[in-house]
Amino acid sequence: MHKKLVSSLAVSMAMSAFLAACGSNDGNNTSSPSASPSESASPSPSASPSESASPEKVENFTVSLRHIQIGDAQKFRKAILDDVVAKTEAEVPGLKFELDPVEDQVNRFTKLPAEMAAGNPPKIFDVFGGAGDTQKYAAAGRMLDLTPILDELGIKDKFLSGVLEPFSVDGKVYGLPIGGNTEGIFYNTELFAQYNLNPPTTWDDLIKAADTLKANDITPFAMGSSGAWVPNMLVNTLIGRVAGEKTNNGFITGEVKWNSPDVLAAYQLYADWEKAGYFSKGELGKDYDGMLNDFVAGKAGMMFDGSWRSSAFKNDAVGGAIAGKVAFVSLPAVPNGKGDQTSVNANYANGYGFSSDVNENEKKAITAFIKNLYSDEMQLRGLLEDGVLPSMKLSEASVAQVSDPVVKQVLDVLANAGASFPHFDSVVQSKVYTETETQLAKLIAGKATPQQVGDAIQKVQDAENAAAAK
Amino acid sequence: MRATLKNPYIYLLFVLPTIALYFLFFIYPMLTSFYYGFTNYNGLNTQDFIGLDNFVNAFQDPDFRNSILNNIYILLFSCCIQVPLIVIFSLLISNVKRLQGFYKTTVFMPSILSTSVIGILWGYIYDPDVGLINSILKSLGLEPIYFLADMKWALWSILITNAWQWMGFYIVLILAAILAIPRDIEEAAMIDGATGVQRAWYLTVPLIKPVINVVIMLSIAGALRVVDIVLVMTGGGPAGATDVMASYMVNQAIKYGDYGYGSALSIIIFAIALVLTALYQIVIVRRQEKVEY
Repeated sequence: MHKKLVSSLAVSMAMSAFLAACGSNDGNNTSSPSASPSESASPSPSASPSESASPEKVENFTVSLRHIQIGDAQKFRKAILDDVVAKTEAEVPGLKFELDPVEDQVNRFTKLPAEMAAGNPPKIFDVFGGAGDTQKYAAAGRMLDLTPILDELGIKDKFLSGVLEPFSVDGKVYGLPIGGNTEGIFYNTELFAQYNLNPPTTWDDLIKAADTLKANDITPFAMGSSGAWVPNMLVNTLIGRVAGEKTNNGFITGEVKWNSPDVLAAYQLYADWEKAGYFSKGELGKDYDGMLNDFVAGKAGMMFDGSWRSSAFKNDAVGGAIAGKVAFVSLPAVPNGKGDQTSVNANYANGYGFSSDVNENEKKAITAFIKNLYSDEMQLRGLLEDGVLPSMKLSEASVAQVSDPVVKQVLDVLANAGASFPHFDSVVQSKVYTETETQLAKLIAGKATPQQVGDAIQKVQDAENAAAAK
Repeated sequence: MRATLKNPYIYLLFVLPTIALYFLFFIYPMLTSFYYGFTNYNGLNTQDFIGLDNFVNAFQDPDFRNSILNNIYILLFSCCIQVPLIVIFSLLISNVKRLQGFYKTTVFMPSILSTSVIGILWGYIYDPDVGLINSILKSLGLEPIYFLADMKWALWSILITNAWQWMGFYIVLILAAILAIPRDIEEAAMIDGATGVQRAWYLTVPLIKPVINVVIMLSIAGALRVVDIVLVMTGGGPAGATDVMASYMVNQAIKYGDYGYGSALSIIIFAIALVLTALYQIVIVRRQEKVEY
């Protein structure tokens, strides 16, 4: 009898032990490899980090790498990343990268924030600069301070001036921009020739082109607004043109208000275009890829998009159908616009960040990864193969190698610009940015007026500024 | 062995792991989310206790009020349109002499598919360029309808898809009740000269009322917790036109990282669901007499 009691006790103990094992297994997966004895046969390296890497006793370890280079349109950038990964693995003994591809918007707005909240982001991850992303995570202690690594590699001064700022908090750098872009107008030169239209380099030519295309049953601007970040690109540049290039930086300081007359005028302009039917029909149900499809299929004559899209119009890319028939210009000067009308939007907001929860081995891997990715060679390859503007200083001879006509036009746009302004998504707090998307969707749907849009965003901006001042 | 099983502590031992899991994965998260509902927790920074601010905000938030309205539309649609249709279809199928099994299986099919599959499938049916419906409209020379992108159509499109998915399940439920009614009642009515419609309305429907009640109950509960189909098909868009309470909550908490506000919204949703089902229980179901054949 007593024996039975003991045996049933033993069974339940075994069960709880089994459950406990499940639990601790889970824990190990998310913690750093050095803490998990099952993955590494040799003892933890943290005891003697510096001199212990003797070649005969190589410890295998993996480093998770989150990237957003998914799909055909990103294949050039993925190839560069693959080369950097292979090179880094060859340099660091025992290192194996574990690639984790996640779609950009999902990574930026869903997955990474949740991982940051839980405290288990990948060791290396794609991240955006600004108050809503890098600076928020860095302030919460989730991101690795890269300043010592940059000093060790001596590459800090090789970055263009100012591009590290959205990734910095209190003078410390927490992320590195992979490249830059400017947002402007892609237009279909064949359609423009067919209807005898001038390139949309002046406001009058732009409006005439839009009206002519519209009259011929061609959508003036392909637009995919199911994710409001897409139309927000045009809104951002309209604000820069109408209200001046310094506007975007003024929202978080309180100098500029979203419901000030100038900003409202930009929203009004957008609403007017909406009313005139300049954008794709059913745009609220169309996504970013659908917008490119419309443009490539010749259903639309123009498309407002980031210069990174230029690589889609190569012969062997998704937009190969109109390769050679695409040109790029910046949004022309707006009549009565404030500020420098030659200024262009320039973003160096997307790059890589690193988890603060890393051991010495992982730090070595990160250092090698940075050394290989942020090099002249890879920066030039990004420019030549993918049309991504370098975030680091390249020699003029290197830049002169650009042969892609669209990339050349992008470079011309930037060279002719009197000043540049960032996208507000890398300036304002994430709640404010979210509100701009919500309100823009309402504006497009005709559910809100520009005044209501401005008031609603400013309300959130006020609350966030007050919270930041605390 | 018998003596062991007489010891009450042994039973406690057996249920202990289950209770532990229940606490870990149900009670504990529920209590923490209840607590988070009163804070401004955003997952990153330390949270401050802010009292009822989240709840006040929720009821002042026009987008949340709009999502409550959408839930009410869905509820009305399921109770006032879907349930009568379910009963009519059940009556029709129950009177079919041949291939009844085929009809039963066919109507039941959609409810075994995953919601994601259905959402994507209907997304194609509604597609403005290549979709089935718009292809027909175009061949008739009509303008395409942007079902999921148009404020006027989006909610209807989702309602129809949702109805398509779940009606079969309820039809099978009611069909079982109809087929359980003894044949002699119907035969007696036939001999008395009652027409088919009369028999259906005055005999069958009253006899299956308890099952209809269950179906209405389930529809109410279903209408309040509908979210997956919305997230798959529109994500709450265009401009919040299809946002329901749960999808709004998910977006606020998970997408925008406002866990405090999201938790508060989930408490509100819980309260609303509790009140509505309790009301229905008290007002309708309790009054019912038991049906005796």
